[in-house]
Amino acid sequence: MGLVVARQTAGLHECEVVGNGPDAKGIFLLRMRAEGLSRALAPGQFVNVAVPGDATQILRVPLSCSGILPDEGLVEISYAVVGDGTRRLSEVPVGTSLGVVGPCGHGWGPIEGKALLVAGGIGAAPIVCEARRLGVEGVPFDAALGAQSAARLWGEAALARAGAGEVLVATDDGSAGIAGFATLAAERLLAKGGYSCVLCCGPQPLMAAVAGLAGKAGVPCLVSLERMMSCGFGACCTCNVSLVGGRQASCCMDGPVFDASEVVW
Amino acid sequence: MSGVSMAVDLGGIRMANPIGTASGTFGCGRQFEGFYDVGRLGAITTKGCSAEPWNGNPAPRVCEVTSGIMNSVGLQNPGVREFVAHEGAYLSGLAERGCAVICQVVGHSIEEYASALELYEELAPFAAGFEVNISCPNVAAGGLAMGSTPERAAEVMRALRPLTRRPVLVKMAPSRVPETARALEDAGADALSLINTIPAMSIDVRTRRSRLSRPTAGLSGPLVHPIAVRMVWEAHNAVGIPINGIGGVMSGQDAAEFILAGATTVSVGTANLVQPDSAPRILAELERWAESQGVHDINELIGAFEC
Repeated sequence: MGLVVARQTAGLHECEVVGNGPDAKGIFLLRMRAEGLSRALAPGQFVNVAVPGDATQILRVPLSCSGILPDEGLVEISYAVVGDGTRRLSEVPVGTSLGVVGPCGHGWGPIEGKALLVAGGIGAAPIVCEARRLGVEGVPFDAALGAQSAARLWGEAALARAGAGEVLVATDDGSAGIAGFATLAAERLLAKGGYSCVLCCGPQPLMAAVAGLAGKAGVPCLVSLERMMSCGFGACCTCNVSLVGGRQASCCMDGPVFDASEVVW
Repeated sequence: MSGVSMAVDLGGIRMANPIGTASGTFGCGRQFEGFYDVGRLGAITTKGCSAEPWNGNPAPRVCEVTSGIMNSVGLQNPGVREFVAHEGAYLSGLAERGCAVICQVVGHSIEEYASALELYEELAPFAAGFEVNISCPNVAAGGLAMGSTPERAAEVMRALRPLTRRPVLVKMAPSRVPETARALEDAGADALSLINTIPAMSIDVRTRRSRLSRPTAGLSGPLVHPIAVRMVWEAHNAVGIPINGIGGVMSGQDAAEFILAGATTVSVGTANLVQPDSAPRILAELERWAESQGVHDINELIGAFEC
């Protein structure tokens, strides 16, 4: 699957927080007024956010967009509170101006035929973003969505609203949908056949497993990878991804979306 | 515009102002054109390149610590030939816009340093000079091993000196500064860059493993700045050649400290990664400071520290 996608050059944007609150257990929704960014971003791209509140923590926090609303000049970011940076972000009040670097990386690219979207945990953010685009463009899709528990499940309603033919939910504890990982849900949907591509984002083991399932089914698979990184625009070489054949790619510039068959898992 | 002349001479590299960027934090410069006109800077130092491509270290390569970051990139680079093929046109244009382009060379051995420098000498007419990195803490051979003693550092410099007539800077390790600086000056270095990142460790106590892919990594950012100022001052007292001060510069005040301690130029490093438009802001702040000191020429402030 080709990943030749036009890329906007990253710039600095001052974005006003217009909403920031819990959306599921451990997951927050940040809404920012970002006129320029909302017109420049594509689903699958990310932004690198300077989070205030602790001058001793200098790195930005890279975050995928879950919603791009150019008509309203808004960008939405659904994020899990997992470390100090996202904890501070969860405390940022409405009205705060955030310094945002973006758009970073390239998105999912054009999709043809019927897509299977697979997400685990907060990996659902760039998947939901893409689902909204597919819905608008009339591209049919189903979704496999995993979470630790019903309380932590995020994205089910958004995927259905975006126009998913079927959303199959899996939770680790069985409190919603089938009991098991998103891999199990993906396997069941893939078995039905008819997909021209798989798009996946979530924990690395999930993406590796889904890449394997898609490979066996002969369906091309795109994955959105996560790496520790600094700049987000190709200056520091800290977010390397090892590709088949020995090449080192950069997650922030060559990704975060990669052809799964090229990634060394 | 202020009335202060900001032009400086770094061992034969003439710069419109003292502010440059540290190798490894600035790509080849092109990555920053979306944030500001890179041609306004005095110099950039490009990512270290070897004669042949290097893959660098496995992920993760970066982690955050209090007031700093640690990196373990391991000098991943495409090799001089490919680097010049891809970025030569941009860098030639940048040099024409008035920004000095300093190309950094790396190697695992003296022979590899020499090969990289010879390639640059042949392929890079846009380079105003070269920086020899003998102090990267993240490679198993070469790097810091080359700069770990004054004798070894001087040996590298002596071998490279005949290979180019353009200015050669040496990027020094943050250890044994006065004696290494003297040895490098004696071996023919035109200027010294210091400091490189400080070898450091960060351990995930839950897993008992390093937070990076190797046990040790290079520490940079605002927490190393006071150490770097002290080392620049020590080098300035030890040698007569100019010094390029590097280490945790986040503001014009940080840059001014380096100038007062004896640096002729200042490279912005980690700040580029956390706030991409840092370098021109730091330049403007430095210029305002020089003006406030009542001088006509920034050179009057080099080494003007009063004990």
